[in-house]
Amino acid sequence: MRPALVATLLLLLAAGGAAAQSGERVLAATLDNGLRVLLQEDHRSPIVSFQMWYRVGSRNERRGATGIAHFLEHLMFKGTPTYGQGQFARLVEQNGGQDNAFTSQDVTSYYVNIAAEKIDLVIDLESDRMHNLRLDAKDIASEREVVIEERRTRTEDDPGGFLGEEVSAIAFKNHPYGAPIIGWMEDIKRITPDEIRAFYKTYYMPNNAILVAVGDFKAPAVLAKIRAKFGRIVKGSAPPPVLGVEPTQNGERRVIVQKQAQLPIVYLGYHVPNQKSPDAFPLEMLSTILSEGRASRLYKRLVYERQIALEAGGDYNFFATDPSLFWFWGTPMPGQTPETMEKALLAEMEKFKSEPVTEEELQRAKNQVEAAFVFQEDSVHRRASLLARFELIGGYADKDRFVERLRAVTAADVQRVARTYFSDDKKNVGVLLPKP
Amino acid sequence: MTRLRRPYALLVLLALVLTVPAGAAKPIAHREVLPNGIVLLVAERPAVPIVVVRVFAHAGAVLDPPDRAGLANLTGALLTRGTAKHTAPQLDSAIEFVGGSLSAAAGRDGMTASLAVLKKDVGLGLDLLAEVLLTPTFPPEEVKRKTAQIQAAIKRSEEDPGTVAGRALSKMVFPGHPYGVPAEGTVESVGKLTRDDVVAFHAANVRPDTAIIAVVGAISLDDARREIEARFGGWKPPAEPSPTTPSASPGSAPRTETIEKELTQATILLGRQAIRQTDPDYFPLVVASYVLGGGSASRLYSRVREEGGLAYAVYSYVSPARYGASFSVSAQTRTAEVPKVIDMMREELVRMTREPVTDRELRLAKDYLIGSFPLRLDTSSKVADFVVAVEEQGLGLDYADRYKERVAKVTAADVQRVAAKYFAPDTFNRVVVGAPKP
Repeated sequence: MRPALVATLLLLLAAGGAAAQSGERVLAATLDNGLRVLLQEDHRSPIVSFQMWYRVGSRNERRGATGIAHFLEHLMFKGTPTYGQGQFARLVEQNGGQDNAFTSQDVTSYYVNIAAEKIDLVIDLESDRMHNLRLDAKDIASEREVVIEERRTRTEDDPGGFLGEEVSAIAFKNHPYGAPIIGWMEDIKRITPDEIRAFYKTYYMPNNAILVAVGDFKAPAVLAKIRAKFGRIVKGSAPPPVLGVEPTQNGERRVIVQKQAQLPIVYLGYHVPNQKSPDAFPLEMLSTILSEGRASRLYKRLVYERQIALEAGGDYNFFATDPSLFWFWGTPMPGQTPETMEKALLAEMEKFKSEPVTEEELQRAKNQVEAAFVFQEDSVHRRASLLARFELIGGYADKDRFVERLRAVTAADVQRVARTYFSDDKKNVGVLLPKP
Repeated sequence: MTRLRRPYALLVLLALVLTVPAGAAKPIAHREVLPNGIVLLVAERPAVPIVVVRVFAHAGAVLDPPDRAGLANLTGALLTRGTAKHTAPQLDSAIEFVGGSLSAAAGRDGMTASLAVLKKDVGLGLDLLAEVLLTPTFPPEEVKRKTAQIQAAIKRSEEDPGTVAGRALSKMVFPGHPYGVPAEGTVESVGKLTRDDVVAFHAANVRPDTAIIAVVGAISLDDARREIEARFGGWKPPAEPSPTTPSASPGSAPRTETIEKELTQATILLGRQAIRQTDPDYFPLVVASYVLGGGSASRLYSRVREEGGLAYAVYSYVSPARYGASFSVSAQTRTAEVPKVIDMMREELVRMTREPVTDRELRLAKDYLIGSFPLRLDTSSKVADFVVAVEEQGLGLDYADRYKERVAKVTAADVQRVAAKYFAPDTFNRVVVGAPKP
């Protein structure tokens, strides 16, 4: 959780960006079966980043079966009748490629970065596992143990990860964002092979996926190959909508965790809207001013000037599919209490309400976001990821308007959103107390 | 917040950066030596309007005096904390206002200052970069502040089992050598460092005659040379020669240590000394390590993770450095399965020594190591890191091509011979961090 929370938009872009003025045009198409395809040529290196993004994540899970989306992500590497156990990884490596995958609250994403001349192999592998996954009970049984080990590493034995789960759990009583992406341990142990097979059939459909490739290829030729392989897959029914809406919170909620740790941690999470609201742009600017770089407020005030925090940060998930949380967090220096840390974070939060941000701060934040967009252009992997991110929230072309819309944010906008959303009625607090 | 199918294995990636082959026909960078001894490396990448610069100095933790562990690390962290012209907050504001980044840090072998800016800001960026290297002032209040932060970070890192295991293992693998001492020092050793120590360390070790400057991105060779000479041309080396560091001597008898922590999972780390790129056996060793525990098709990954369901992360890796190298095998597993996983690691190590790897395994390892090369040089930052590493380790800019040839020539017999030399399980030190009983 701690590293994930550091991710403001700039870091999110660093994990997946492209550029506003990226030159090459995007070839966009929707196949008859609903598969959305975005292709962008980039001939600087003889490589391609080939990515499959499925519109399914932990938000699509039901109570009692949390973690099933992430579990299935692991099983996507376990083989089909055509490419047996271990073949996917072996073929990718043998061809000099690198692959991995991740699951978030909203999406499950797979990538293969590989020599461009090998793109046919990847089209073959990805189209095959979109509809042919074997999902046999023995593979599920052994992979279940792997996921349990992953949960131990990331959550059970990681104080920050553990606390983050607890805060989300009190913040969301009805919406599935309250459950951890990796799932509760009891659910990971219980989920049945039949439930996994049904989940796969429901969500791994061409009409629920986005295919993005950026690299050294001819887009029309690649599109023809994609049509030939993916076009055969039958369109599925529309996946069920996520119905849970988070009720209004009346008053602050708080959770205390005691765990073996060296230093305390404090998290604050406020309910905020996502990119569907015009307030998302001022919130994004606020997040950058709050925590991006050493000139940002939290670093400068709490780490540098007051020296009460070892680390402090903030995070806003602009791309969330549903309204999510705006995070503040801090690790106090030895000798400082979590109470002091919490007060200091709250004071920084209040300052956004009481005074407008300075022109210099606003300009710096805009320049940072704009430069980050240019830096992303350097990597085909990041370019492809950012196209997918924007496509998921409405359309890849919005990427080109994003910087422009951020540029339009004023100091008054930032102050207004702080006053609107940073209230006790939306506030969730988590404190980790090191066990003596 | 995301959950990955596989963890990013930083060590593996770092080791590979130093060990991957190149297919490029033309040299990856232009190299020249400036009159004051700076090695300048320039790689033009005109397509994206950014410039990335690395300045490497032979000022790593290996040069820490024995009673001053953490001195290089503290000095590196302080470079950007005040110069003759600017305070720390002024430096931060100046670079971040243009969306750029400027940072400095020391590792075991050296200290690196890194700059990334848009092309239009390259003048400003290089001015600041030169300032932090040539005229840092190490203000007393900044020394105090940074010392406290490093001490707190060391304390906090005690809750990370991987870090704890790594520190304990290094001490066993490199006894009596600086590589056995944590580069960041200890809470106690850092507490004893003074501003005078920092000033003296910087003056003696951050110097042009051992420096490497790599400029990569949207800048021509002529412009890069001119801009670097304008700012670093007048940099004078100190009279004293640069200190030398002995290579690591062979380790002592292998040891085993268990560090108890209240955790649900145990971290197992096996390690021993190995060889650097200059040893001809290095190439078979890299192939052997890949077959054993390099990727998702490796023996350890297949047996421990895919079949056994015993671990999320299981790897083996070679870590070459300037004054020595190590080979390690690591896994994290539930407390109850620690003996079983250690047995599997040992069995697989032994099997590598007793029988040749199959043709299929050998081909996969070689194809991957050679074929994945373009992916490792696809951004300006990766190119800058690569050329600095190759220069710093004295491997030559054609190292990538030679590496490709050498890996291609490795046979199953080579792999078995080198495994026999380096994979005997009883030659490994072992650390386990976790609860004593389930």
